[in-house]
Amino acid sequence: MTEADFASRCNSHRGYLLRVAVLQLRDNDLAEDIVQDTLVAALQGAQGFSGRSSLKTWLTGILKHKIVDAIRRKTREPAFASLDEECQIEDFDALFDESGHWENPPADWGDPESQLSRAQFFDIMQFCLDKLPPNTARVFMMREVMELESNEICKELSITSTNLWVILYRARMALRQCLEQNWFAQAGRGT
Amino acid sequence: MTRDGATLVGRLISCKDASRAISQMQDGNVPFPLYLRIRLHLIWCEACKRFEQQMRFLHTAMRRYRQ
Repeated sequence: MTEADFASRCNSHRGYLLRVAVLQLRDNDLAEDIVQDTLVAALQGAQGFSGRSSLKTWLTGILKHKIVDAIRRKTREPAFASLDEECQIEDFDALFDESGHWENPPADWGDPESQLSRAQFFDIMQFCLDKLPPNTARVFMMREVMELESNEICKELSITSTNLWVILYRARMALRQCLEQNWFAQAGRGT
Repeated sequence: MTRDGATLVGRLISCKDASRAISQMQDGNVPFPLYLRIRLHLIWCEACKRFEQQMRFLHTAMRRYRQ
């Protein structure tokens, strides 16, 4: 593969890398810079790509380091704080009655794995991720896309493990609800 | 069945607490007694069983998202 081919293959993932970066940094300009850095680093380190993982996975790995560095610099800025209001676990208590039973139990999603081959499903997933509150999205992406361990995330963001669990719970509850409403409840899917 | 089942073991753990613990289980270990109470709860509670399957699915879907 020529260098130009490799560059254009890398570049074809720019949109995905940018969406991932924006969700974690909440700063379009910074995200653009980080993705640019990532692509430059990828081209410089092309020999490091063994082909054992997919190119997208490999690029995500480079992006991960760039994002962690950026977050490290950013957490020193006061504007990044305001994590507290996203650490309230009570927000989702309305889904349960006083004795702790589901008010609206989760619906039957049928065979959800069969939806994963449909591109539109991931459009809805992106829509739901974009709707998450800023810090909730950031933490969820660090956990599920960057695959950072819980203790690493706590360290990078200076939060307690309880805060982390609450935020991830909030993210999952919100995503579950959003996917149910916008995908599985639509005719012909799920039940 | 769902509600009756949930009521029966409700004294052990509520759906609300179970849902929190099920999420927590994806990110690390929960204390063993809590783990047992969740497993017991899931035997009876269809709603939480569904919730747990959906949480697993969410994880699978995110893996596909990044691949």
